[in-house]
Amino acid sequence: MSLQTLRVLETFLENPAEQLAGAEVHQRCGIASGTLYPILLRLESAGWFVSQWESIDPASAGRPRRRLYRLTSTGLRRASEVFASFNRGVLA
Amino acid sequence: MSQRYEPSGPPNLSRATRWLIHHSAHRAPESLSSRLEEEWLADVASRSSELSKLRFAVGCYWASLVIGNESARIPVPAASSALSAGGIVTLTERNFGYLSLRSATLFLIAGLHAALFYGMITTLSHTRATTPQSNLENHALKEVPPERVPVLQPLSRDWTIAVPKPDAEIPPLLIPSDNVTSAIEEKSIEPDSPPAVIPPRVIARIAGGPGAGFPDTADFYPSPSIRMGEQGISTVQVCVDSHGRLTADPTIVRGSGSARLDQGALKLARAASGHYRASTEDGQPVDSCYPLGIRFQLSNLR
Repeated sequence: MSLQTLRVLETFLENPAEQLAGAEVHQRCGIASGTLYPILLRLESAGWFVSQWESIDPASAGRPRRRLYRLTSTGLRRASEVFASFNRGVLA
Repeated sequence: MSQRYEPSGPPNLSRATRWLIHHSAHRAPESLSSRLEEEWLADVASRSSELSKLRFAVGCYWASLVIGNESARIPVPAASSALSAGGIVTLTERNFGYLSLRSATLFLIAGLHAALFYGMITTLSHTRATTPQSNLENHALKEVPPERVPVLQPLSRDWTIAVPKPDAEIPPLLIPSDNVTSAIEEKSIEPDSPPAVIPPRVIARIAGGPGAGFPDTADFYPSPSIRMGEQGISTVQVCVDSHGRLTADPTIVRGSGSARLDQGALKLARAASGHYRASTEDGQPVDSCYPLGIRFQLSNLR
């Protein structure tokens, strides 16, 4: 698992129930779009993320709808395990 | 949720950015292209500066390449996947055509290795196979036997003209004078007397040839001829002065059958100027022209 993937997971783990668009993930963890979107799709295909379109009316909002990602229960558990494995061996 | 933002993306988006995102999305697998285009157009709207939007679009292009490569190996959620029932997961395939980039690179590297191997076989190995078997020899034509100088045949008749001394000296100035007389008296002609025989004079002539410091034939053996195993004798006509220097450009008088070898022989003959042994007549070096045979033999190569 790459460092960029860990940073994406860390961003979502800050608030596991929150749904984030790719642009927001970019703003929080600073990963460029060329790296970010393959990671999001990779985690989605692995079942760690799910995504859905933002429930807005683009015409009234005056902007396109965004694709929102959030952690699945499986993704939450697996991501927590990953970070826990890092914390083992680290002195508190 | 089927609404789309119809004005083809957010406002205030440059044509370059919009074009780049559009084409990036269509480089991705077909099942994802429309979803990615809409998603990226929405996300690029959150960028403030135009440069930032362009950087985002360039990143999208790179992302489409990565996604396209990975989609051939892993399942990717379809564009309509949603939270419900765990989403729809479909396998997307990417048409790589006959040659992917990786395969083309592999074939290119293999081709370069094959070309290098062929080059080594046709050049280096042949040179190794023809290792020197003997010292190099300059094979010039054998010395031409001294030519006999044509002997003048004795005249059949001997004519003797006797001019009597004038009785008076001729004045230095050509002034007509009656006092000066001259007469030419024809002396006796004896046609029946035996002719005087001039003894023949034989000149000992020795043709020249390669002298001290004459170049090595191996240095002028054309490389293509070595590779192709060409051998032969080129006969070159050289004109040399008494010091062994060329007085005219050498010419081929009898070819070896190979134009390359003949050219090599001419180069050698030119380079040898000053190192020829001059022809001699009665032991004295003289200017002369003579044929010189130059043998190119692979077994003589070092």
